[in-house]
Amino acid sequence: MRLKWPGAFCALLMAVAGTAMAGATPPPLPAEHLSVEKLPPPSPHWAYLFDFSFNNETDERVYLYDGDKGRMLGQFEVGYYPNFAISPDHKTTAIATTYWSRGGHGTRTDVLEFEDNQSLTLRGELLLPSKKAQSGAVGEFNVAYSADGHFLYVTNLTPAATFSIVDVAKNAVVGEIDTDACIMVMPSAQRRVSSLCENGRLLTVTHDESGKETSRSVSKPFFNVDRDPIFATSVRTPTGAMHVSFLGDVYEIDLSGAEPRFVEPWPLLGAKERGHWRPGGQQVVAYHAKSGRLYVAMHVGGEGSHKQGGTQIWVFDAKTHRRIARWPVDAAKHGGAFALLATQDDHPLLFAATENSALLVMDAMTGKLLHVEAKLGQTLWSMMNP
Amino acid sequence: MQQRLDRLVELASRGLARRTSRRGLLGAFGMILTGSALMPLLPVSRGARAEAAEPAAAPGTAAKPPSKAASDPNSCEYWKYCAIDGFLCSCCGGTSSSCPPGTQPSPITWIGTCHNPVDGRDYIVSYNDCCGKTSCGSCLCNRNEGEKPMYRLSLNNDVNWCMANDNPNYHCSVSVILGVASK
Repeated sequence: MRLKWPGAFCALLMAVAGTAMAGATPPPLPAEHLSVEKLPPPSPHWAYLFDFSFNNETDERVYLYDGDKGRMLGQFEVGYYPNFAISPDHKTTAIATTYWSRGGHGTRTDVLEFEDNQSLTLRGELLLPSKKAQSGAVGEFNVAYSADGHFLYVTNLTPAATFSIVDVAKNAVVGEIDTDACIMVMPSAQRRVSSLCENGRLLTVTHDESGKETSRSVSKPFFNVDRDPIFATSVRTPTGAMHVSFLGDVYEIDLSGAEPRFVEPWPLLGAKERGHWRPGGQQVVAYHAKSGRLYVAMHVGGEGSHKQGGTQIWVFDAKTHRRIARWPVDAAKHGGAFALLATQDDHPLLFAATENSALLVMDAMTGKLLHVEAKLGQTLWSMMNP
Repeated sequence: MQQRLDRLVELASRGLARRTSRRGLLGAFGMILTGSALMPLLPVSRGARAEAAEPAAAPGTAAKPPSKAASDPNSCEYWKYCAIDGFLCSCCGGTSSSCPPGTQPSPITWIGTCHNPVDGRDYIVSYNDCCGKTSCGSCLCNRNEGEKPMYRLSLNNDVNWCMANDNPNYHCSVSVILGVASK
């Protein structure tokens, strides 16, 4: 016992000294130098998040978000009712939008702006005719690049429907195509652009290198607009696009051939679930091309509920048409999943923007919730990535 | 401008022709003209209920006691707002059928059919946007009975119906009764 006293005494001394040090004023913080962050090299887990900013629509935004770090990296200003597309080399975001000279009034200018995706600064612009489509259905095919990045196609609506052809290298509008009330721009090889028509047909226009129309064709109806319309927003696939219908059928359009080919539609739901569970939201589906996984925001609802966010995300193998999983969304806490986006790498993330403008980041293979932004911006609306 | 007007009339006519019988077409035009006398509308038909695959409620059925919200023009559940998408003008200085001061009504619009639970009738309503000022920001509603994607423009509430205004800034939305829907 006697041998333990010196050790206890030392411990007491150290405790007293520590207390004294804790009470001492710490050294001052070093002076800071104001700087501007630079983006690190792009990651496949970055996403461009469009905020419709409902309460101030003349000042809408796109946020660049890092799904791994769970943080916003920067922002574009994108004006009023913008449509946007990322260039095939991923270096540029093209934004077709509208501004006024004095905030919400004054002279209207429709413009195509080119944002540098690495510096998040404006690289250039091109004035557009004041007829750019202004729609809340913001998807892949309102503005789109040709596969080689040579042309950009911009949907116009006055409400007469046309699209402008922009020669990117010339920085000029080189043509305007009357689409006979068909709308949107789905590009495919050989200078072809397809548009959805109100009678369930697909218009396909071919143009030459100068932007002049050389031919057009109209398909037979491939879906029934009145009984079960397809959502206007869709996902890009390696060969074309994939749409889902209000009642949950999948319509794949193969645009890789000389004429559009319509794959036999297949159902997301069995007969018992059909009309009970439904797809819904704004960006209703996401697609991971390498695995062929299709993600659909699903809810229980009736006619007219097609913009209601999902209480579940259903996962399908688009090749076998088999449902792989049903992942719950805490809609009571975050609002329903309103927009979905999958990254396209080997370890993909699934982003889900909700009706409360929350952002959920999930493992797209397992559904594990990795990160939650309880409120990002004002009204998250749609998402895009290269 | 004339070309644009021609196109609008064509759009309206084609939409109506597709979705209505000849008798119904005349009836619908009669109501459009009635509406036009009151307001310079150039509506695009939004007679979705008649052909919707799944009627939200059977028209002409016995009147049910309306909920409080269904009678409140400041509520999204107000019966006239069955396919409205946007800020209610009644919360922004206007009413359910008038634009707030200093704004301009959209000259183009779409027509819907909403069921009034008070008298059990279906009414044709014109959904107009009020334009020329930035978003009102109050009473945001989104109802979609019979609404269709934007490739069916005449039945769509996603597009900015202020698009043809001198100042196409969207401010808020109204729902104006044009008449009783003919059966």
